[in-house]
Amino acid sequence: MLSLRKEPPLAPEVLEEAAEWLMRLSENDLSDHERAEWERWKISSPERDRAWARAQLLQSKLGGLPPSLAMSALDRPSHPERRAALGKLALLLAVMPVGWGSWKLAQTQQWTADYRTRVGERRELTLADGSRITLNTDSAIDVRYDRQQRLVHLREGEILVQTAQDPSRPFLVSTRQGRMQALGTRFTVRELSGRTHLAVLEGAVKVMLAENTQTAPLIVNAGQRTDFSAQTFGTLTATDRNVGAWTRGMLMADKMRLADFVAELTRYRRGFVRYDPAIADLRISGAFPISDPQRTLNMLVQTYPVLVSGHLNGYWVTLSPA
Amino acid sequence: MSEILTADKHQHLRAIEALYCGHHGWLYATLKRKLGNAMDAADLAQDTFTRILASQVTVIDQPRAYLSCVAKGILVNWYQRKALERAYLEALASVPIQEVPSPEAHFVVLETLHEIDAMLDALPSLVKRTFLLSQINGLKYQDIAEQLGVSLITVKRYMKQAFVQCLMLVE
Repeated sequence: MLSLRKEPPLAPEVLEEAAEWLMRLSENDLSDHERAEWERWKISSPERDRAWARAQLLQSKLGGLPPSLAMSALDRPSHPERRAALGKLALLLAVMPVGWGSWKLAQTQQWTADYRTRVGERRELTLADGSRITLNTDSAIDVRYDRQQRLVHLREGEILVQTAQDPSRPFLVSTRQGRMQALGTRFTVRELSGRTHLAVLEGAVKVMLAENTQTAPLIVNAGQRTDFSAQTFGTLTATDRNVGAWTRGMLMADKMRLADFVAELTRYRRGFVRYDPAIADLRISGAFPISDPQRTLNMLVQTYPVLVSGHLNGYWVTLSPA
Repeated sequence: MSEILTADKHQHLRAIEALYCGHHGWLYATLKRKLGNAMDAADLAQDTFTRILASQVTVIDQPRAYLSCVAKGILVNWYQRKALERAYLEALASVPIQEVPSPEAHFVVLETLHEIDAMLDALPSLVKRTFLLSQINGLKYQDIAEQLGVSLITVKRYMKQAFVQCLMLVE
């Protein structure tokens, strides 16, 4: 990835010719006549020869992938902000080789104020105004404070927000699905599979949907939770008393399906946990030290008819019926 | 000619040495603050200097602006890799156990996926999907045209665009 190609770049026409041959080969079997034409093309110039060497390299890379896995991983929805950043980057890279010395970085291109936790990590921040934010595992936020507002953008994961008083500037948390204005103090926000999950512990939060301004804002009061997409609100229900247990490193399970339990657990550990479908509906209850996934797994085995086997230093764990 | 090259090379190394001594600490601290993690920050700072070493740069006017820009590129790449790994792990959960690569093979598969992901990233999403349907799922162009609701000519145009892009970047 970091190596620079030593050979000179290939002319676009040659790359196009190689692309056309790749298309013909992947779509049809060539006739003898076409095959001869193809062979002649390949050896007709050193550039074409080099282009075809690349084509073969590409074919071997594409051919070695397990299709269903590759499709899911590569065809994932893209992240619009990241795409924009990459577009800019591609432009910069194209300009880079010659005039670095005289090249001036635009003053506007600053680092984004970006805080992040790794898988299994938890972190508490105190912002300039005294507001406190706890980031759960594998989460990222941007912080934008200015004269008019205090804005925290949740890029991914989950946060607990405890706002400080500032009558002159509203405190806002935004996600891809909408914007929440703190009318009081303590609430958790989690983004999961295209929905934002909000639970209010103290005070109240006003929610505005990102892509539906027709719907009036929803006020969520202390003790209530809801979830919403960019277009619609889910139902408003009572919070359970374990909201925010993660800030103490705990997972409180109350007759939780093993499948859901595993989904929670995988948020906190690198690697992969697979379970036998036969035990997916096993009900799990208890307080688990989620920030210590290994201990959590041990506790599971001691309390429930479940066997844990793992390899590759635990990267890979399988749960099966005991 | 060779003398000039040597002089340039020398200047290049001196510029990087100065950059490293003066600003590595700052870059590392900045990355650590952003990522909240010392290990990843150290890796990314190292990658940043490795990339600069591979460049031809000889004069650096604004060292921190320059470093920020190179590091930012590496960071974007890192985020992208994380998203890919996550999608891959999610996909693993849904495929039959016999189709799961051996643990040793995971790393090779992930590495290849990452390369292909990077090659296709600059393409519009429909072009990318066309290419994946053809090259990963093995669909015929006509089937892709029907599935995506575009003409056969369009599919061919997309395929050519994607192949040219990949040929330009594959290494």
